[in-house]
Amino acid sequence: MHTIISVAIDATLITMVLALAAFGLAIIYGLVGVVNMGHGAMLTLGAYLTWAAASAGAPFFLAVLLAGAGVGIVGLLLEHLVIRHFYKSPFDTLLLTWAFFLVTTEIIKIVFGTDFRNVASPFPGAIDIGTFKLPAYRTFVSILSGLIIAATAVVFFRTSIGIKIRALIQNPEVSSLLGLNIAATYKLVFGFGAFMAGLAGGLIAPMLSIDPYIGNIFLVRSFFVVIVGGIGQLLSGTVVGSFVIGGSETIFALFTSQVVAQAAVFLVAIVLLRFRPEGVFRDQ
Amino acid sequence: MSQISLSLRRRSAGVDRRFFAGETTAAAALFLILAAVPPIIAGYPTYILPQYMLFGVLAMSLSLLWGFAGIVSFGQAAFFSVGAYAMGLMMHQDYGFNPAYAGILIAIPAATLLAAVTGYFLFSAGARATYFVLVTLALSISAEQVAVSQSGITGGWNGLFVDRMELTFGPLGAVSLTDDARMFYFVLVIVICVYLLMRRLTTGKFGKVLVGIRENENRLTALGYDVAFYKTLAFALSGGVAGLAGALYATHANFVSPSLGGVLFSTQAVVWVAIGGRGSLLGALAGGIVVSSLTNYLSAVIPDYWQLALGFIFIVVIVFFKRGLAGLLESAFEALRHWRTAR
Amino acid sequence: MSALLRTEGLTKHFRGLVANDGIDFSLRSGEVRSIIGPNGAGKTTFLSMISGHLPPTSGRIWYRDREITSFSVVRRARIGIGRKFQTPTLFESLSAYENVELAVLRTESPPAKREARVNAALGTVRLAEGRDTPAQFLAHGQRQWLEIALLLASNAELLLLDEPTAGMTVEETAATAELINRLARERNLSIIIIEHDINFIRDLAARVTVLHLGRVLTEGPFEEVAADQRVREVYLGS
Repeated sequence: MHTIISVAIDATLITMVLALAAFGLAIIYGLVGVVNMGHGAMLTLGAYLTWAAASAGAPFFLAVLLAGAGVGIVGLLLEHLVIRHFYKSPFDTLLLTWAFFLVTTEIIKIVFGTDFRNVASPFPGAIDIGTFKLPAYRTFVSILSGLIIAATAVVFFRTSIGIKIRALIQNPEVSSLLGLNIAATYKLVFGFGAFMAGLAGGLIAPMLSIDPYIGNIFLVRSFFVVIVGGIGQLLSGTVVGSFVIGGSETIFALFTSQVVAQAAVFLVAIVLLRFRPEGVFRDQ
Repeated sequence: MSQISLSLRRRSAGVDRRFFAGETTAAAALFLILAAVPPIIAGYPTYILPQYMLFGVLAMSLSLLWGFAGIVSFGQAAFFSVGAYAMGLMMHQDYGFNPAYAGILIAIPAATLLAAVTGYFLFSAGARATYFVLVTLALSISAEQVAVSQSGITGGWNGLFVDRMELTFGPLGAVSLTDDARMFYFVLVIVICVYLLMRRLTTGKFGKVLVGIRENENRLTALGYDVAFYKTLAFALSGGVAGLAGALYATHANFVSPSLGGVLFSTQAVVWVAIGGRGSLLGALAGGIVVSSLTNYLSAVIPDYWQLALGFIFIVVIVFFKRGLAGLLESAFEALRHWRTAR
Repeated sequence: MSALLRTEGLTKHFRGLVANDGIDFSLRSGEVRSIIGPNGAGKTTFLSMISGHLPPTSGRIWYRDREITSFSVVRRARIGIGRKFQTPTLFESLSAYENVELAVLRTESPPAKREARVNAALGTVRLAEGRDTPAQFLAHGQRQWLEIALLLASNAELLLLDEPTAGMTVEETAATAELINRLARERNLSIIIIEHDINFIRDLAARVTVLHLGRVLTEGPFEEVAADQRVREVYLGS
């Protein structure tokens, strides 16, 4: 019994961290349909900017916010200079965002070098709850992740700006007639998605040793999270998708190595999607 | 000038292009230049070029999918590494007959089978092209990780050391390929054969159907074509070609490591083909050889800045020069032709 | 007299909207039939169910006395059902010749025979001159004809044409009517046409089926249908 709860706790922590990492992609891919192959690079950039800000003396959470803002600005630049001309061709945006990954990674290597960096965890150690030991920082991030996603969902579904964004995305022609600015909305969404990715990268940084490719371990998993959860289902999709991907990875990892577990999870996701292409939630 | 650009615009993007003769000449030129390398520039280039030629073959496998059928794969390296490890493992066995032949005979079907199964599974359900990219990415990641984790067989990150193969002709004797020049010509001959074979395939019915898939899959389906079958076939073929390239690479470079199957290598192939010209087999081949040679040369000097430049070149190509260098050259020749006849 | 194509109770529901409601339809071999009706009457939906692009909610379809209700698009295309879509669906950057060549390629391999068939189809639709022009640069009317050429070259015996004269000039429309009549007469092709242009429908000298709100309102020769009070109401009323 103890083991089961322990595994469940592990799975939940992994799930929520994965959800946080995937959220930026859920926004960009889910809302404006850009297959953002640069998502991993955005996470990486967020981690590095956090390190840079922290090294410059900023307190951790401020550093994370600055990093998020930084990546958000980079995202806006990318959208403005390149992406906005290619919304109609998903293939081109796929390749262009991949090019963004190549360029960003090289710039990171040039500016920061390739040595591993570390960001100190603001809450080191573990919390004791009954007979369970929870890693303190990871638990904190998990809760924060839930709050962030929930808050965004509230804005998206309940506030007027969120409703406008949703209307515009579901029906661009009509919305432009109603006076909603398509270009500005796409920019806002793209920038926000980038900001989220940067934020996630910063928050996740203390859990890992940072290298220029660190974000990429989340790239493919994030895509599967978004697709399995249902493209466009920001709240429920991201969380449920993360549970499926993160949860099965945790379970597989009990029986085999981490590496094989990940390959197994991909296989499960691919097979699942083959037979239920809409993902876990159908398009509403 | 406006007349030229009008007719340039109005040129079909189909397979029977008027540049057929032009491509043959260019191919002949490329192969002659390559053939001249060992006698003229012995030493390092003779040693290293076969590897780049094999990268060129990998690029060709991608252009079959991308340029013709319009399907991008970010996972060609997975098939390359399957071939490489097959060769590596066979070369360590002792069955009494030429282990390199065994390696090739296993590499090609293994890679082809992996591609065929994956392709069938996805295409028969009508997987969208963007989802397919994701799966090929997952394939590459998994290939690399399987190679790392099964270190008992593959040596993990320590890699696998592989001898140079020999060509055995039964009772007629054997030719060792330890000599760089001999290996060079052997690889060159294989590359030429693969090029010719692929050209034959793509200029016939198969190539035309793939182009039809790229242009309008729905129209093709409504004409009675089993599109999933053709896509699977194209993917299987591209896997087999990549596997062959990997097998030969293993015995040439004498070393196989997990990164041969990974995402970074897969995406390098995408960059080569984009720059060389995805719609042209020769363009992809040349793109693979030239860009990888440049990368190797410049990596010693300015590694990070070169990769950065390559990233920007990639962006420029995707935005402005979709048909790559091969397309640019074709347009230049077309303009030249018109200028000549207009005079 | 057995019908080439027959449907029985063909129905299609879309999340609460009834697009087609129990349509019984039959077409003889060599017959041309126009399907008309106001927008939203379910005409394209009906055509899509015949070509296999939409599975029916209920009802059955027979082609040459064989039930094809569960056949895929590919299978139906292979037994002779060809469709021209509402928006011309062509291989845009390929030339007219290459477009038609793809239609022939599946069933004809020797290059000489292929070439003959392609040229014949292009000639029938008067596109021989534009054979090297990429489809995207052909005039709108020519694109419609090109798509018909695709069907001819693929040996389709039942042609489903969705608004073939949309965007055509008066001369082109008249030429299209003449073409269709000729195809039915000389090659015994069976053709179903969805159309809005009254003059074109009159020129076709074919029976007309009128759809309204997903059901068959009436069916008969053009003059009768045109004079039918209910048909006038449906077009002019709501």
